[in-house]
Amino acid sequence: MTGPTPHYSALALLRARLAGGGFWRPLWTGRLLKQAYDVVVVGAGGHGLATAFHLARDHGLKVAVLEKRLVGYGNVGRNTTIVRSNYLLPENHYFYEDSLRRWETLSKDLNYNVMYSPRGVVDLALSDGDMIGAARRGNAMRLAGIDCEMMDRAALDRFCPELVASRDRRFPIFGALVQHRGGTVRHDAVAWGYARAATALGVDIIEDCEVTGLRTAAGVATGVETVKGYVQANRVLFATAGHTGMIGTMLGVTLPIETHLLQAMVTEPIKPMLNTVLVYVHPGHGETYLLQSDKGGLVMGGYLDGFPSYTREGQWSRMEDVVQGAIAMLPQAAGVKIVRQWAGINDMTMDGSPIIDRLRYDNVFLNAGWCYGGFKTIPASGAACAKLVASGTAPDLIKAYRLSRFETGHMLDERGGGPFPVRL
Amino acid sequence: MNGTQRRGTRLTDTSLRFTFDGREYCGQVGDTAASALLASGVRAMGRSVKYRRLRGVLAAGPEEPNALFTVGTSPAVIPNVYAPQLELRDGMVLKSQNRWPSLKYDVASLLQVGSGFFGAGFYYKTFIWPSWHRWEATIRALAGLGEAPGTCELPPPAVEHFSCDVLVAGAGAAGLAAARAAARAGARVVLCEREPVCGGELEFEFATIEGRPALAWVDATLVELASLGVRVLTDTTLVGGTGGEYVAHHEPGGVPGANSVYKIRPVAFVIAMGAVERPIAFINNDLPGVMLLGAAERFLARYGVMVGSNLVLFANHDRVYAAATRLASAGMRVCAVVDIRDSGALGAEATAQRATLAQGGTECLLGYAVISAAGGSHVRRAIVAPLASPSATRVIACDVVLVSGGWGPSAHAGLQEGGTTRYEEGLAAFVAMDQPEGRENAGAANGLLELPRVLIDGAGAGTRGARRAGADGDPGATPIASGDPAPRLVPFWRSPADRAGEKRQFIDYQNDVNVADLRATLEEGFVDIEHVKRYTALGFGTDQGRIGGLLGAAILAELRGEPLKDVGTSRLRPPYHSVTMSSLAGLRVGARLRPMRRTPLHDWHLANGGVLEPMDLWMRTRYYRQNGPAVFEAGIAEAQRVRTSGGIVDGSTLGKIEVAGPNAAVFLDSLYLNKASTIKVGRSKYMVNLREDGMVLDDGIVLRLADDRFIATTSSGHGGHMLSHFEHYRDTEWSGRGVTVTDVTESWGVIVVAGPQSRTVLHSVLGAAWQPVLDTLTHMAFARGAFGGQDLTVLRASFSGELAFELHCRPSITVALWEALIAAGFKPYGLEALDILRVEKGYLVSSELNGETTPFDLCMDGLVKLGNPCVGRDLLDRPAFHESDRPRLVGVRALDGKAIFYGGAQLTTAEQPNRPCGYVTSSVYSPTLGEWVGLALVSRKQPEGAVLDCRDPVRIGDCRVRLTSMVHYDPTGERMKS
Amino acid sequence: MTRLTCPFCGPRELREFEFHKTLPEPGSTPYARVYERVNRLDDSLEHWQHVQGCRGWLLVRRNPSSGAVLETVILGGGAQ
Repeated sequence: MTGPTPHYSALALLRARLAGGGFWRPLWTGRLLKQAYDVVVVGAGGHGLATAFHLARDHGLKVAVLEKRLVGYGNVGRNTTIVRSNYLLPENHYFYEDSLRRWETLSKDLNYNVMYSPRGVVDLALSDGDMIGAARRGNAMRLAGIDCEMMDRAALDRFCPELVASRDRRFPIFGALVQHRGGTVRHDAVAWGYARAATALGVDIIEDCEVTGLRTAAGVATGVETVKGYVQANRVLFATAGHTGMIGTMLGVTLPIETHLLQAMVTEPIKPMLNTVLVYVHPGHGETYLLQSDKGGLVMGGYLDGFPSYTREGQWSRMEDVVQGAIAMLPQAAGVKIVRQWAGINDMTMDGSPIIDRLRYDNVFLNAGWCYGGFKTIPASGAACAKLVASGTAPDLIKAYRLSRFETGHMLDERGGGPFPVRL
Repeated sequence: MNGTQRRGTRLTDTSLRFTFDGREYCGQVGDTAASALLASGVRAMGRSVKYRRLRGVLAAGPEEPNALFTVGTSPAVIPNVYAPQLELRDGMVLKSQNRWPSLKYDVASLLQVGSGFFGAGFYYKTFIWPSWHRWEATIRALAGLGEAPGTCELPPPAVEHFSCDVLVAGAGAAGLAAARAAARAGARVVLCEREPVCGGELEFEFATIEGRPALAWVDATLVELASLGVRVLTDTTLVGGTGGEYVAHHEPGGVPGANSVYKIRPVAFVIAMGAVERPIAFINNDLPGVMLLGAAERFLARYGVMVGSNLVLFANHDRVYAAATRLASAGMRVCAVVDIRDSGALGAEATAQRATLAQGGTECLLGYAVISAAGGSHVRRAIVAPLASPSATRVIACDVVLVSGGWGPSAHAGLQEGGTTRYEEGLAAFVAMDQPEGRENAGAANGLLELPRVLIDGAGAGTRGARRAGADGDPGATPIASGDPAPRLVPFWRSPADRAGEKRQFIDYQNDVNVADLRATLEEGFVDIEHVKRYTALGFGTDQGRIGGLLGAAILAELRGEPLKDVGTSRLRPPYHSVTMSSLAGLRVGARLRPMRRTPLHDWHLANGGVLEPMDLWMRTRYYRQNGPAVFEAGIAEAQRVRTSGGIVDGSTLGKIEVAGPNAAVFLDSLYLNKASTIKVGRSKYMVNLREDGMVLDDGIVLRLADDRFIATTSSGHGGHMLSHFEHYRDTEWSGRGVTVTDVTESWGVIVVAGPQSRTVLHSVLGAAWQPVLDTLTHMAFARGAFGGQDLTVLRASFSGELAFELHCRPSITVALWEALIAAGFKPYGLEALDILRVEKGYLVSSELNGETTPFDLCMDGLVKLGNPCVGRDLLDRPAFHESDRPRLVGVRALDGKAIFYGGAQLTTAEQPNRPCGYVTSSVYSPTLGEWVGLALVSRKQPEGAVLDCRDPVRIGDCRVRLTSMVHYDPTGERMKS
Repeated sequence: MTRLTCPFCGPRELREFEFHKTLPEPGSTPYARVYERVNRLDDSLEHWQHVQGCRGWLLVRRNPSSGAVLETVILGGGAQ
């Protein structure tokens, strides 16, 4: 059960077919928890797994990933799979671009097809003001060497003829900012691909292993208490997404984070009708992002449910809002049926940007506050966070994501919304 | 009409015609697509997604995974309509799905050859080179089910909200009993039924209730329910809900059209949604002609369809003998009943029915299983074998295999709140438990399958629901009944098969998940049901695992060597049944996506050449058509006119908040950087307030009407937020009383009269009474009076740099006043001209007040220095706000005086060409200055006069600009004060 | 959770209300009042406004894990 998985390829599939069974190996299961590690990563989501992978590969450290439930059971498998780097602020766009570049080669790097699909992300502009905002962002991106294109209505109609079918729009579309290299990635594959690659490097991934406490001595952490016993660790990283608030409570720290629910939903599969990712933000608390998965379902999401929740039970009315936006973009889809809705629990920080920093102790680190952007940053976050944990110093790419930025006034507020995650 | 008319509970004698894949067929009114096609001998109705295997109807409800049709003609098609739900209308055009060029001959079905290659998760292991995206278009075209609609003209649904005492979902035996008991007890009851008719399994079960045949009892009960005022909603599926509000979706005929959405708030909720029959996995159990037993019974009873002429039945329970008896008595030949159990497992009734069947020539095999189905395009043979020696196969010629592996209660109903499930051994299924207060499952949905117990359960649930709602009447006697015997089910999930055969033992039909997939998945370490679901797509079809979910979990348990109850099933997500997007969107589609706010002059603008654009929820005029061929030219013409003579603009969208009470002044002091308490009555002040974090939130003019009364104006589109902000501080931080905050935005229309001749024009319009007022009104002072008998406030303030007056008038006189101004010679201007005028003067709008700027950034240091301890003031001392590269608002002009530059362009220095030191917030072509002028937020390191590169690669490329004073026009403000 | 009971107006649809923020610990610094949020799994103290009703500001105590509303108090004495 513990041998490494074979290299994946079409040839391997053929060999497996000829072998008739017993050819494949478990991707990560079957590891036992050891007594001590260089680093214990809490949370086997995208960020935890990617960080563990880089800690092992780039820094040669002995790592365990402890997961309360299952690999990839949190937001890495509950998002709408969109990847992009079309951010305004340099602190953000360089980081997200680092991630997008890593997405481009990740399937090869992990030998696992994560299905990166650069189908373009189209941010629709619904007013002259939106067009100016889009240009400001697009220009900042282009100066940083990041691709994007500004389209007026005519160019947009050529690029995305699906939009032409619309009539009678409450908010007319003026144009769009398009990032062609943006697109989608198959979400579950990211968790599984990193878990497999990390396992191959000797990382122990332990599921059903909830961490219940942090043991410290003389002002440093010495290990973590888990439901499977005590584990000694030289360094501890918390990457627990929606449950960061609980980690704060465990460590006696109040964080600039509020926990909110974000829904997504999908329709029955249909033949291709949308070849890009559309983002539509309209007045009156409306937002919908819409894409068509490779299986054919229209996948969509929108704003947070609007109040703190750990329930994973989305409000029906928010599902209605999202679908309204989808029909506003593609009225031809109105007769298609929604088959499934789900929700994830998001850490929302007070400026909309993440936190990757030390937390209270010199050898305890936090990777949190991903707001809407967690999935798309997994590869960059993993590499940079591993550097921080391994060296104790944050690399330039994530220096701005320090926890103290709110106290010093160095917020990274892309939308100018201030410390109100749900205020629009 | 060929052949004789069929008789069924749902059919009429009127015939109709429709086409399926281009061929014309006949049906009868009441038929579904599935029933009419089955009656016409059509077996193949679609192909599966992955291997493109030919498939026929499996089920008789919306859980049908195979027979999904595209309805209509391109491009106005509705895809993926469930054939067993789709009620035919004359002339309907239907197409099968997942095939090219035809259902019979499908090129992609060659993929079946590679079925060992394309096992679960194969795509994670390949298509890596050269890149996934290169393969994607081909794969996407192969995937997907129905045709993508190119247009859709559905009317919005009817949306209805109501409350009731007891909501019963499902009008089978349990639901009818529940509704009747609750209604008799005096409760207000609503009964939803997914099907077009009530009765559920009573439609075909051998049953007698209260001395009547089952269907007669159903009819009598419906009559009684009607007399008790029960609202019965057929074709209506309960799809979800939380927190006591449930959503029901009405889609008559099974195809979007005349849909309704009901939002129901009951005191008590009874889930009586029955159970879903599950198949057994055997080789080729997906061949057309393999069908669920209950589906065959429903097609017979409701539509008079004989699903075949030579049947083999395959099951693990007693009910199969009753079913065989009914099917045989309808004239179908039951060749064999294959029961996996031993003779000892059979009950008395089944034993008797079995004996009768045997006498009639049916082969009744005990301890046998159907090992596989065979035949080319549909079932021609069943291969059976004793379970004790599976290799001792025998062939039975047949054209249909009806399978029943038991039933899974419809326990979850798409409801997210609370409740757990427990495994019920006798049923080999999970039933609901620990339901939230006021909600219970009844009948088959509660795991009960014998009619007498179902009725007791239903009546009990109905009575408890009524009691909960305070209805204490007599629920009446519980119906006494006899029906099909207890199933005496022995769990059985799949027939014996070798490894090669497991590839054709299907679990989730639509996604072609088979037993071999589960085995391979385990081999790769995906053990947990949630992982297996995600890795294999088990339960991701349109039926959301209703057919294959439990079957898959059970086979996974077998392969893991663990009991099913430990494996569990994956978490079900709402909605309970798929819901048409149009129904979810409700009325908020098209122009009604969001409410539209109109100023009193809205219609006038529309009628007089105004080009209106949305601004927040408001509609505002960008320019007037008669002033130029497009916005650029018209804007210039309109702005020029204001500077030379004058013009009027509709400013009604300005937010207006009236703050009154003895503490009104101090209250406003606590909200603004500068003080309201120093404003004299009859005067106004430009004021700025901050968000809690110190960023500038908004600016506006505050008018002091009286000692204890102010009107604070806000930016358009900011009014609602500012009002909440005021109210929040009044109710929380503000400890003093004596302040009221009232939104008066829509109580006042606002007309701005601007330009050197504005005073003259106002003289002629407002009349002699206003003349001395107008002549003496100083800058930022206002006067109150009347026009046309209605309140009018005239404020001398300018957002254009010209002599200007804001007329705040009652909406009822706004149009009259506007038209009078036009009659006096002033012409209207729009937002484009407004923007030109304000940028020339360096005034701010939301481009600068963008939530990212501190008062220092906006050169409001003077206001901060006043030291007023207002909201947000505390946090302005943070170091970041005082760093040397913080932005500051400046003016900007092209270095050569000719180049064009736009808002949104980034500014860089020669030293750091890739790192912006600022950006242009707004820019306009100034007709007065004959060049482009703008405002920019630029690092304070860059002094006035600095030359920067203006970078706009996404639009018009680069130019060079120089930083100037913010005020481009009339810097001393002489014109405004004239 | 689809309803909140406004002490002024009675039980109303959640859509009529707008959540503002979770509250900091009492006695916090001005910075903490603006930026820090207490995230307790079972007990969240929040400010909401009945925006499309009486417009009163409410102090709401909820269990964010179950959605149960534990207490609703109208702030500032309501409409005056």
